[in-house]
Amino acid sequence: MKPTIKTLISLSLASAAGSLIAAPDPGERISFVSCPIVRDTVSVPCWLSDYDGDTYYLTIQSDVSATVQPPLLGHQVLVEGVVTDEPAICGGIVMEDVHLTAMPELDANCNTMLPVDERYVIDFNPRPPGPSAGRLAFDPAPGTPRVEPPPPEGPQTFDIYFDFDKGISFRHPRFLQQIFTTAGKLKPSRMTVTGVRGAHLLSNGTLLQEAQNTGRRRAEEVAGLLQDAGIEVNTDIKWIDARAEADGIDDWQSRRVTVTLTP
Amino acid sequence: MENDSGLISTQNQWNFSEMKIQTKDHHRLWLVIFTMTACFNSYGQTAQQAMASRSDLWWAPGEDRPLPAYIEYANDYGRVGLLNASGTIITDGHPFFEPLGSNGRGCVTCHQPSDAMSISVPTIQQRWQDTHGADPLFAAIDGKDCPNLPQGEEESHSLLLKRGLFRVALPWPPKNAEAEFDIEVVRDPTGCNTDPVYGLDGERHEISVYRRPRPAINLRYVSSSSFGVSPFIGKTGMLATLDPDTGRPVNMNMMADARDVTLKQQAQSAAHGHMEVAQPLTPAQLSRIQEFELQLYGAQAWSNGGGALNEPGGPSGIGPQAMANGSDGVLGNNTTRYVFPMENKWADLPEGSSEEEASRNAFLESVQRGHDNFFYRTFWIKDATHINTVGLGNPIKRTCATCHGMHMTGMDTANGWMDLGTTNYPWALEPPESPWSQEAPEMPLFKVSCRADLPPHAFLGRTIYTQDPGRALISGKCEDVGAIVIQQFRGLSARAPYFSNGSAANLRELVDFYDRRFNIRYTEQEKTDLVNFLSIL
Repeated sequence: MKPTIKTLISLSLASAAGSLIAAPDPGERISFVSCPIVRDTVSVPCWLSDYDGDTYYLTIQSDVSATVQPPLLGHQVLVEGVVTDEPAICGGIVMEDVHLTAMPELDANCNTMLPVDERYVIDFNPRPPGPSAGRLAFDPAPGTPRVEPPPPEGPQTFDIYFDFDKGISFRHPRFLQQIFTTAGKLKPSRMTVTGVRGAHLLSNGTLLQEAQNTGRRRAEEVAGLLQDAGIEVNTDIKWIDARAEADGIDDWQSRRVTVTLTP
Repeated sequence: MENDSGLISTQNQWNFSEMKIQTKDHHRLWLVIFTMTACFNSYGQTAQQAMASRSDLWWAPGEDRPLPAYIEYANDYGRVGLLNASGTIITDGHPFFEPLGSNGRGCVTCHQPSDAMSISVPTIQQRWQDTHGADPLFAAIDGKDCPNLPQGEEESHSLLLKRGLFRVALPWPPKNAEAEFDIEVVRDPTGCNTDPVYGLDGERHEISVYRRPRPAINLRYVSSSSFGVSPFIGKTGMLATLDPDTGRPVNMNMMADARDVTLKQQAQSAAHGHMEVAQPLTPAQLSRIQEFELQLYGAQAWSNGGGALNEPGGPSGIGPQAMANGSDGVLGNNTTRYVFPMENKWADLPEGSSEEEASRNAFLESVQRGHDNFFYRTFWIKDATHINTVGLGNPIKRTCATCHGMHMTGMDTANGWMDLGTTNYPWALEPPESPWSQEAPEMPLFKVSCRADLPPHAFLGRTIYTQDPGRALISGKCEDVGAIVIQQFRGLSARAPYFSNGSAANLRELVDFYDRRFNIRYTEQEKTDLVNFLSIL
């Protein structure tokens, strides 16, 4: 999906007129860097961020199985999402296809914690703030049959996505494990690992680029981990660290490593 | 605290008769001697006799007395019980109990039965008095602040005598990882880190940090890798260390910095680094140590305030027998398994028909409240690396059990090093620096400078001051600076002080640290309840 004309107009106006711009319409993509805000509730806290005069709802606290995981106070957050017309949550505009990544440098200004406000009630929290009922919030329900993927045939390609400027982290064990498991079945003769330096086109027109050697650093780290884990095949390590362009559409996917296993 | 009421157990499995001997030790006013006449039904034991006299309290390597199938030792809060599931251990010739080292030490030197198989400061101080510093416990290699200091002078052993800390000398830079940071010595009260031989820039290229020995009980739980352990560590994505015997990843939760990950590795490493053995331990010796450690359980068995802790009908997760019965590798931060199962057995107890019973019930209710506080009381956990950085957000509104989630032990089920601030500025215990303070810093202080071309530490930036870089000395990772592996909660009453650097002298200081660190604002009642709860584990 490419930016709509309206989005482009909004982008140019945003840079020129700032707060005069009205809240984006449902369906519009939005991308910005701002401080996250945590608001307490009587159950789990919710996460918000202010941008351009509006407050956006980002996610709630859940557990490590959440698809959208909360940001970090002490850091700005890079937000990508598509505005919806759903009722506000915690006072914030609701987005879908939300992707959050903490910016790596510390920012002491990002330290806003709001107290419980009875107007804001989280009634859909999949996990309370204390002990769980025995399983992770977003794990399949007990008894859900596990579907085994078919045996791999031919070259297998995996994309691993990263936080801004960052390398391997808590996000990656299951993806690394998937590659490792596939390699065990496929018995590849070659592995290609390509790291990419990402970029973002923000809603205000700013092009945000990752640090210069990020693609190489990621490729070498991922290749090293997979080799040390036991994938001992000829490995090509490549990277794309040239100045990256971005179009504001799913730019989070630009921060990646692609691994290809070739039989 | 005296331990003078109701000491004859009425448990089903064991009958004790006991007598008490007053000692000069202020920390152990009473020493309990048990004569076990019971049968240890569950393990098929015959009658055992467990004698503990004042001189018996210290277990010197090379003694050939047996370690009974079950024995209790007094502490400030009651008695800790040790249970050998395989029955009486014949220690004569046993590698855990023999002085294998050239310095006269054995494993038991620093893993004393009376101290829940760790060693407490009162025990260390008593041993100093009894031997005038001549015991192998005070060996130069790590029982002194630095090996080059005069042997046998109290000042040379200050960290061991005051805080129960042994010197741990680690290579710098790390042997098996690329360092993402440089280290400078900012403060060196022991003199070791600036020494021309032992210092950071010395001949040996070592860094000296000072740590408490961990308790060698319940290691079936500690070494279990059946939950949350995979080739790639869940919290960081890095590779988990493999068990060299099985080739499988392990939880790495045994040591403060996770440098040795199996019981055999730890034993071999300790034999070399603490006992100064001439030759590596043999496979047979290592297997025997491992076998012993995997069948040994320990927990507080008697509470001065609450009486017997493992009576029939009581909580299923309390007492040494519960540890022997429990399942390892289970996540307990949930309402199906619980971390420390208590089934509300001590909630809403009757007032009691006597003053003694009323007092006991009031104490047990306090314990129950402490448990509930541990399990349910939320607070903001903020800026703690490897908990706030693993996808939960910073801060998170959670409870003690979020991090201390392993069923029965309160450890982490998965690879569990975190930075709570016990060794890192600004939270580490430091004396006040002012013109009016006479208190001198005891711990070294290092400045860690993380590489500018890599992302900074998530909460401390690129310049970190620390008393002990913890896991980072092994991984080389900036994000691991000050991260320490969570340890078990069992036998706490027997083995003060707490935290890897001994910075909490007692259970109250331990609770106070968390209160201060996370701005919890516990009430006095909550603190008392938590201390009481911790004291019975």
